[in-house]
This record gives sequence, C-alpha cells and structure tokens, in this order.
Amino acid sequence: MRILIVEDDALVADGLKQGLQQLGYTVDVATSAEEADAFVADESFDLALVDIGLPGIDGLEFIRRLRERGNRLPTLVLTARESMEDTVRGLDAGADDYITKPYRLPEVAARMRALLRRAHAVSDACLRHNGLALDTRTRAATLDGEPVELTNREWAILEMLLMASPAVVSKDKLVQSLAGWDKDITPNAIEVHVSRLRGKLAPGEIVIRTVRGIGYRVDAPVN
Amino acid sequence: MHPSTELAPHPRSPLGLRQRLILALAIPLMLIVVTSSALDYRLARRTADTALDEALADTVFDLKSYVAKQQGSGRIDLTQEAEAMLRSNAPDLLYFSVHSAAGELLAGDVDLPAFEAPPEVNRVQFRDGRYRKRPVRIALLRMEGASGPLITVMETTGKRQQSRQRILAAMVLPNLAVVAATLIAVLFGVRHGLLPLQAVEREIAARSVADLHAFDLTASPIEIRPMLSRLNELFVLLQQASEVQQRFIADAAHQLRTPLAGLQNQLDLAVGEGAFGQNPQRLGHIEEATSRIGHLLSQLLAYARTEASTPAPRVFEAVRLEQLVENSASLFLDAALAKDIDLGFEMSPTATVGLSWMLQEALSNLIDNAIRYTPRGGVVTVRCGSEGGQPFLEVEDSGPGISPEHATHVFERFYRIPGSSGTGCGLGLAIVSEIAHLHRAEVLLAGASPHGLRVRIRFPAALPV
Repeated sequence: MRILIVEDDALVADGLKQGLQQLGYTVDVATSAEEADAFVADESFDLALVDIGLPGIDGLEFIRRLRERGNRLPTLVLTARESMEDTVRGLDAGADDYITKPYRLPEVAARMRALLRRAHAVSDACLRHNGLALDTRTRAATLDGEPVELTNREWAILEMLLMASPAVVSKDKLVQSLAGWDKDITPNAIEVHVSRLRGKLAPGEIVIRTVRGIGYRVDAPVN
Repeated sequence: MHPSTELAPHPRSPLGLRQRLILALAIPLMLIVVTSSALDYRLARRTADTALDEALADTVFDLKSYVAKQQGSGRIDLTQEAEAMLRSNAPDLLYFSVHSAAGELLAGDVDLPAFEAPPEVNRVQFRDGRYRKRPVRIALLRMEGASGPLITVMETTGKRQQSRQRILAAMVLPNLAVVAATLIAVLFGVRHGLLPLQAVEREIAARSVADLHAFDLTASPIEIRPMLSRLNELFVLLQQASEVQQRFIADAAHQLRTPLAGLQNQLDLAVGEGAFGQNPQRLGHIEEATSRIGHLLSQLLAYARTEASTPAPRVFEAVRLEQLVENSASLFLDAALAKDIDLGFEMSPTATVGLSWMLQEALSNLIDNAIRYTPRGGVVTVRCGSEGGQPFLEVEDSGPGISPEHATHVFERFYRIPGSSGTGCGLGLAIVSEIAHLHRAEVLLAGASPHGLRVRIRFPAALPV
C-alpha cells in the first residue's frame, strides 16, 4: 500500500510517516499542494492524507482539483479546524473522510483501513472484515474461508453495516433500504434478521453491536 | 452568564430629563405670574383707591357747602340729620372737624388731630394716617378767603381693605389656574415628548449581549440622533474588538493543534518502540495530559466560534433534532464503550430552526460531559422530542449530578466543580449556554433518579409561519 502525506509541518509529517511505515505502508511526503500534484501526476497511490492548512493552495482546493481531473484517489483530510461547517466543506470538496488534530496513530490507521476497504470493495467487489468476506458479484459470503449461507435480507443488512462501519446505522435506514423489495418490513423484523446474522457469524470476530434506541453497528476491524 | 441589567438606585443621581424640563419651565413661569400679579394688583388698587378718594372728596365738599352757608356766625351748627347723613358711611366710620384759620374748632369731633392746611384752596389733599389706633384715610380742604377754615375728614379703611382683597382674589386665582393648567400641559407634553427616548431604552433593554446591530437613525427624533450615532460607532468598535479577540483565540487554538498532533505522534511512536516499558503508569499520565490539552483546544475553538457568530434568524434553517441525535451515536459510541457506559437514545421526530452545526456542537458537549463525569458501567441516555409544543434535546446520565450550590456556576467559562473527577476543561456548558442563547433556547438542569444529571436544551415553541 502506498500512501501520500500532504502536510507542511515537518514534525507531524515525520511522525505520521514513521508510524505508517511501522504499520507496513510505503509513505511519501509532499509539503505543498503543488508538490503533491507532481507526485500524483507521476506515481500511483492508494490513499492520500491531506492537511487543510497548507501554504499557498490549501488542502481542500487540492482535493477539488484532483476530483475535477477525475482522480478518485481516496483522501483522508487532516484538519486543525473542528466544526461541522468545515467538515461539510471538506466532504463537498470531494474528501472521503476527515480526522481532527490532534489524533492518535491507531485512529488514523483505522480510518485509513476503512477508506481502503471501501475503495477496494468498489474495485474488486469484495467486502472484507475480520475474516469475513462478502463477494458482491457472486453474492458468496465466507467466514475464515468457510462459506456462510445468507438470505437476501441478511445479506443486505450485513452489507450496509459493513459499508458504514464503524458508524452506527439506524433501524429506520435499514428499513428504508430493504423497502425496495420488501415493502412491509418492520423494525421488529430487522431485529429478527440481525439476531440470525449474529448466530451465523458467531464463530468469527464480527461484532454486531446494538445501539439502544437507534440501531446497530459493526465495530471497526481489529487489524 | 448574562448579568442583570437592572440599575441600582444611585444615592446622588442627577435630575432626570423630565424633572429638568419641568423645573426649567415651572420656575420662570411662577416668576412671571408673581411679577405680573404684583403689577396688576398695584394698578387695580390705585384705580379703586382713586374712586374711593373721590367719594371721600364728595363728603368733604358736602361739608364745605354747609360750612359756607353758616360762615361768619363764629360757630357752625350741623343739624342732626345733616351730621347723620355725613356720617352714614357703613361699614366705615367717618370723623370730621372744621377749624378756623386760627385753629379754633368750629364743628365736628373734638379730638381729631390738627393738620397743616394745604397750600392750595378748594382742593382736597389726601394722606394716610392713624386715628384711635386704626388706619385712616385723611382728606384736607382749605376754604377760600384769608380766614378760610380747614375741613378735615377721616375715614376708616374697611371698604379699601375689602376692595383690595377682592381685587387680589380676582387677579391671583385666575393666574394660579393658568399656572396649574400650564404645568399639567407641560407634564403631559414632556412625557409625550420623551416617548421616543423610552422606545430607544426598550430597544436597548431587549437586546442580547451579542446583539450589536446599529440603531435605525431615521426612525429616531433628530435630537437623539447624534447620541445614537455615537452609540452605533461604539457598537462597531465593540464588534471589531470582540472579533479580534475571538479570532485570536481561534488562531491560537488552531496553531497549537498541529504541534500537539506532532507530540502525540512521537509519543505513539515511542510507545511502539518500547519506551515506558518500565513505567507504564507514566505513559498513562502523559497520554491523559495530551488528551486534555487536545480537548481544551477544541473547546476553545468551539467557544470562540459560537461567541463570534451572531446568526440572524434569517440564516436559520429547519433542523431535524432526531438527525442530530442519530449523528451523535456514531460520534460517541466508542468513547462510551471505552468506559463500559451504556449509551442509549430515545428519539421522537422533532424539528426546530437554527444552525445545524451549532446545535450538533451543543449536543456533543452535553454527551461528552455526561460520558466524562459518569463512572464506569453507568448509563447515558440522549433524547429529543417535544413537550408542550417546545422541542428539546436532552442528555441524562447516572453520574454524581450537580449540587444546587454549583448549579448556578457550571455555565461560567472554566468553572469546574471542586473535587470532580472528570477531565473536562470547564468550557462545555459555557458553549452549550452560548449556543442555546443564540437560538433563544433555555438550558435546564435537573436531577435524575436515583442519582445523576439531566440537562435539557428547550427551544421556543415553533412560530406559525
């Protein structure tokens, strides 16, 4: 996996670089948007960590230009400004996720894995999570290599939860997404499906957590 | 947070505008009335006195015609009827005497004092005097001829006093009535004239601390426009000063975050390389310190942002409260799991108007506080709904709660309850209070059963559109 860090602060860039290298990533550092543009034009990266507050062209503008050129490189925005407003601006510019400074390395790594997983799910049509793999083309699910039989509804629910992980998915959202081919599904029915899913995934390390009053969440993968 | 604007009574407060205006009008008015009454009275009294003097002169001439008829006989005898007629002068008493040029009493009262004869003959001379301890008006007449007798007539002043009193009453009472009517008119006029000032006062009183928009000068009376215009200039300066301060706080917090991120990174790397192996406790302390600094910085930023913004209701939009609550589930689930806290949600769909990101910030602060101050294994429940037509956001925890003596202080910046165990920085509820204020909402603190705290942000009832 090759990662591009776009960050002008040497202390932060160096810390991130070493931390990610220890996790086995290949890391390049650009200290400005212009330098990053040059990197992206010449080489291929799997993910970019972009600081908003860059000298000259800022991080959001860099991402906007990237998207205008049709580049789908997954980007995780590092921001020292924390507010919903900035977050919305960041996501509007085409960023995939954001993380607020100061952050912990394991947190950055977890977010990166989630982004990479989503990007790969799109490219190789396979969702992977702690030994669970959902092949979205063949609709075959395996847990630690063993096939798991899932009904259409269970598959749909699990796919939504995995795509959203580690965010919480409300029962209402699950009902809405299943309503396409199951008009009369109720929140209670969702509970039944989730309960069956838990039974089928019990041998593995997939935790479908109930969030009281809202819905469910699959915890972030361990590795 | 927002101190009462009621003014304490000042021991030596200067006169009010109304008092000044009334005094400035009433004092000259009274002086004018007194002076003009005095002048009028003098004139009227002179006219009345002249008329009464002429009546007295008639009596003198009547007496003179008697004396002239009997002149030469040495002594003058008046018939009883003639004397009675002369003396009939109710309510006043009339005294008279006739002396010869040699000073011999020819007729009349014996004890009347003798006066010097006037130089001119046949012309009545008047003077004031006292007789038998009473004030009298005296008329003197010297008859023609070398030995012309001197006629003296004295009249007590009863009629004159009466006429003076009547004149006084007739002059002064209407004047006083005019003064009273004028003062009443002035009172009403002044009160009416000061109404625009009261309107300005009400507008200022109704303003929130953050509301520094300029007064509309065209709607104000021309006299107070210069004052309002200075006030508007002051508002601009205040706004600028406040913005500079907020920007400084935001910039400082922002600038501190990047090096803190670097520090955190290096710390994580050092741990990964086996540092603190001998003393893992030290690592825990360092991590807690850095995480507290990080929390303080984000709270400072959030506070500066909410303080700086004074969103006019026109930038408000419909905000679905259950959406905010749902968002907070993903934001706080991991923090709650880390403390083994059961984080739950009770939502009934409700909307209010406001700024979505700000309300999310306020709710996040409430949940963050609840998780911080609730011991391991506790319960935190986030609710939204509507009660009595008023939408609300609410967070209830099973922590230690807030005792009444601290309840009034928890909204102050950097106030932390003494001895509390959490790692908060004391800005959370100040931010919540600021955001609630901007949304014209109230923040209510209540206890929870059997222990804990329930904080509710109660929004105003939805206005009919």
